[in-house]
Order: sequence, then C-alpha cells, then structure tokens
Amino acid sequence: MEMKATEQNRRRFFDYLFTLFIVVSLNFALPRLMPGDPFLYLSGDHGEEIARFSTDQIDAYRHQYGLDKPWPAQYAASLFALLRGDLGYSIYYNKEVSTILLNRLPWTLLLVLSAVFFSTVIGCLLGSLSASFRGKALDRLLYPLMIAVAEIPAFLLGLMLLFFLAAGLRLFPLSGAMTHFAGTAGFWHTFVDIAHHAFLPVLTLTMVRTGAMYLLARNAMTTVLARDYVRTARAKGLSTARILARHSLRNAMVPIVTRVFLSLGGLVGGAILVENVFAYPGLGRLMRESVLVHDYPMIQGIFLLVTGAVLSANFLADCIYRRLDPRIGLSTEVQP
Amino acid sequence: MNGLEMTYPATRRSLPLWHMLSGSGKLALLILLLMAGVALAAPLLCRHSHRIASGPALAAPSLVHPMGTDELGVDLWAQIAYGARISLLVGAATALLAGVGGAAVGIVSGYQGGLADRLTMRLIDILLVLPDLPVMIVLAAFFGPSVTTIIVVLAAFSWTATARIIRSRVLILKERRYIKAAELYGAGTLYLLRRHFLPEIFPLAAVGMIRLAGRAIVAEAGLSFLGLGDPTSRSWGLIMHHALSFKGIYYTDFWKWWLVFPWLALTLVVTSLALLGRDLEKLADPRIGRS
Repeated sequence: MEMKATEQNRRRFFDYLFTLFIVVSLNFALPRLMPGDPFLYLSGDHGEEIARFSTDQIDAYRHQYGLDKPWPAQYAASLFALLRGDLGYSIYYNKEVSTILLNRLPWTLLLVLSAVFFSTVIGCLLGSLSASFRGKALDRLLYPLMIAVAEIPAFLLGLMLLFFLAAGLRLFPLSGAMTHFAGTAGFWHTFVDIAHHAFLPVLTLTMVRTGAMYLLARNAMTTVLARDYVRTARAKGLSTARILARHSLRNAMVPIVTRVFLSLGGLVGGAILVENVFAYPGLGRLMRESVLVHDYPMIQGIFLLVTGAVLSANFLADCIYRRLDPRIGLSTEVQP
Repeated sequence: MNGLEMTYPATRRSLPLWHMLSGSGKLALLILLLMAGVALAAPLLCRHSHRIASGPALAAPSLVHPMGTDELGVDLWAQIAYGARISLLVGAATALLAGVGGAAVGIVSGYQGGLADRLTMRLIDILLVLPDLPVMIVLAAFFGPSVTTIIVVLAAFSWTATARIIRSRVLILKERRYIKAAELYGAGTLYLLRRHFLPEIFPLAAVGMIRLAGRAIVAEAGLSFLGLGDPTSRSWGLIMHHALSFKGIYYTDFWKWWLVFPWLALTLVVTSLALLGRDLEKLADPRIGRS
C-alpha cells in the first residue's frame, strides 16, 4: 500500500468530486421526479384571466424555461449555470437565490465557527485534565457527565435552555440575531447585542460537541501519556503543565484536528435545527421558511451550499490527517 | 467496536438480560416499556380524542386535561399518547430495516470480498460524508412528508454504520481456525452463517439497532419540528412545530405545557435508548466499559 501522498490526495479528491456530482445530480433530478407538470396548473400573469393554457402557450413556456430540450442538454445547462454561480431565482422572496444565501450565511457561520472553537478548546482542556488525572475524582466525575452530554440531541438541549434561561428567567432574548431598530449606539453596543443573541444557540451547539471532543481528547492523551518519551520527560522532573503542553498535546492533536473538520457535517445538521429553536436568521431558519412556502429553488440552493461546504471540510480533514501523520496509508480509513 | 477478541465467560451468557443491565440501564428499559405500553394502550388511556377539540383552547393542565390543550382545544395528553405510536414506529421500523439491511450488506461484503466489497465500501464512504439532515429535508420537501418516506430515507442513510461494524467483524471471524476447519469439513455458506457467524454478529447488530432507533426518533422529531412531518399524524415533533409557530408563545404561559410535555416525552425516550444502548454495548464488547 505504498503510495505517494499527492497520489492519495488526488484519489480522495476524485472521490469527493464524485460525491459532489451525485449531490448536484440529485438536485437536478428531484424536481423532475416529482409527480405533475409545472405548466399544467400555471396561473396567468397579473390581470389575465386564463383558466387553462392552450398547448401553444404551454409550449412557449416550455421553450422559455428550456424544458423542451432533451434532458442531457438541460443537465449541461444547469451545470453551466451552477459554475457561473447562478443558483436560480427564489419564487417566494423574489430575489436571486445566491443573494439571499449570502445575506444569511454569516449568521450560520458565526454560530458554527464559535461552537467549533469553544467545543474544541473546552473539550481538549477537560479531556487532557481527565487523562492526566485518570481514575482520580475529577476523571470519575467528568467521564460519565460528558458521556451523558454527548448523547443529548442538539435541538432538545436548545429547547431546554430556551425554557429555563430565556422564557423562564428572561436572561436572554427569545429570538433573532440582534435587536431591531437598535439604532447606531456604537460598535461596542452592537457587538454586545449580537453576542447576547448568539449566546444560547452557541452554548447549545458547543455543549453538544464538547462531549465528543472530550472523549476523543481523553483517549488521545491517554495513549500519548503512556509513551516512553513522556515518562522520560517526567523523569527529567518537568512539571505536569509543561509535559501536557509541550510533549503530549502536540502529538494528540492529529485525531483532534481531523475530528474538528469531520464533525462539521453533524454540526451543520444541529445548527439547522437549533437556529429554528431560537428563531436565529441563518440558513437553517431560511430552510424551514422555504420549506413552508414550497420555495424549491431556495431549498435546492441551501442544500447545495451546505453539502458543498461539508464535503470541502471533509476533504480538508483528509488532507490534514495525511500531512500531520505520514504513517497513514490509503488502506486506513479516517474514522468519522 | 473493532472487536479483536470477544470471549464471553460461560456464565455471562446464561444470565438473563435483566441482571446484566446496570441501574440506569434497568430504568431506561422500564421507561421504554412504559412508553410502548402507552403507545399500544393509547385508546384505553385517553378520555378525549387526539384529533377533535374537547375543551377550551389553550387550557392549562387540570384534572380534565392532565396536560392541557393546544390552540384548537385538542387534549395534549391524548396527542402525546398517540404520538408515542409514531415515534416508536419510526424508531423500530428504521432500526429493523437499516439494521437487518446493514448486517446483510456487511456479511456479504465481508465474506465475499472482491468487487462487491470494494463497491460497498465506496458507497459507504460517499454516504458517510453526506450530511444527512439536509438531504432528508430536501427529500421530504420534494416527495411530500409521510411516515413511510421518513422511515425509508432514514434507513437509507443509517445502514452504513452497522454494515461497517459487521463487515470488520466478519473479516476477523472468517480467518479464525474453527471457521477454516468447518470449511474444510465441507460446511456450506448457509451453515457457516447460521452456526458460526450469526451468533457472533447478533449482539453487535442488536446494539447497532438500538442506536439506530434513537437516531431515527430524533431525526423524525427534527423533521416534524421543521414542519416536514406527516401532517395527518401528530407526532411529538409536530406538536412542538405547531407550538413554536404560535406567535409570541413565550409571552404567554402556554409553552409551559404545549412545548414542555412533548419535549419531555421525546427526551425521555431518546435518553433511555442512549442509556440502554450504552449498557448493551458494554455487554457485547466488554472492553469498552473498562476505559
């Protein structure tokens, strides 16, 4: 199984490209697999009184939307549109799909990236602590607690936080990403307002991910701490903090970094639901709104963006994994 | 779960399941059985209909309506009791479909090897990197929400974990000497499967199915919560969806029963499944518990 890293990367790249191709094809095929015909029940334009279209009119519309061409041509046309960044036109919002996506994307990114950051830092910290005090009181307390936390689904946890902290104690706002019509009270004020609104969703996503990160960090650290060079370091009289920071954490980073990227898929799913719990105006909220008003181009646009992002993150994880640990051959699978 | 050695002390297997569970596992099993009982006996346990209004709208919990009523005056306890049927049906059906299917795929690709194995592993790799919730949302949005669609889509996405675990187990098993010996004595594939593979694989598949059931129930609740549930049958997620769609629900007291009770039911079932799964996992692979 000796293969050069670049060759492996290329092979994985084609794997991901193929997956992306499946996603795009699914996106193309779904509306065409739906029962019915888009022009059968087409209503007239404003002011027109048309109960039913004539065959000529339907053909004209079919031609206008390019639906009279054979499907390979339609498929090629949709691929080219996609390459130009044209995701179609939203029926409900009456705007370009890509414009709306760009408006909503920053909010989702804010939630997901903060959650990734905090859960990684807290998870690694607690995991390292647990590993170095293995079997002691701290470890015996943390381990079952974290396992329990790792099992709770994100949106149920979000609802609980909403009940207690927002609806019950009124500590946090119930919905939205910032106060409306707050005016321009200065940069600092806006920042605090946004952080106040994002706190509960970020807390929810962070708590859900921390359990998994903790277990991973604890495992990785335990393995590293049992190595000979750590024993040597301890024998030299180095402090625990120094051993953890300089000798162990760096070697335990490989699985952790990979996991951070691989976990994005699940985190995005969690974010979609959590945004709806807190009525947070990101992509997940947009997805629910579009589903409720049957805005199909919008749903497809979100779907493409989200899956594309998750696939890229996974591909990055693969590359980083190989770079950090050159021993890993193609035969070894990356554990999700 | 890559199980290199899985030797049971002889006594371990002869004990009934109940005595092997830990305290939390027993509690979880009891809660699940209770929920199943509520689901089955829903018509006997509810005084009011779960479809027709039977009191004032948005009434607080009282003796007449133990969990209050929703915005149409429909009894919430009845809705939750009947909702248990949907959650448990989705969980059980998905787990069965994906568990049996995944186990079958795992056995075939592990035992046969070759092209079939390579193709399945490629397919699994592809399915693993696809984020499942967005795909489910899109499929449910286009094909219309129904319990069947949800079960099929969930199963199509969740058989992979079981298949991988079973495959690696089969790969190890088929190199064992007693299997080789049996093969030399002329044991057919079906005989090997029944006598040697299935008994070893069954605990793994069972644990996998418990996990699958939990994930499926959460996924169904999530989809219904987004408004993609089957509108003809009120599941717990759909009750929460309606409650959250009610404008300004948090400025009233309504959420204290309308949202909290379906949330509680869902959390109880999901946590119980997780606890039970963890216990069974330890039993199927004793090394896990001793970390």
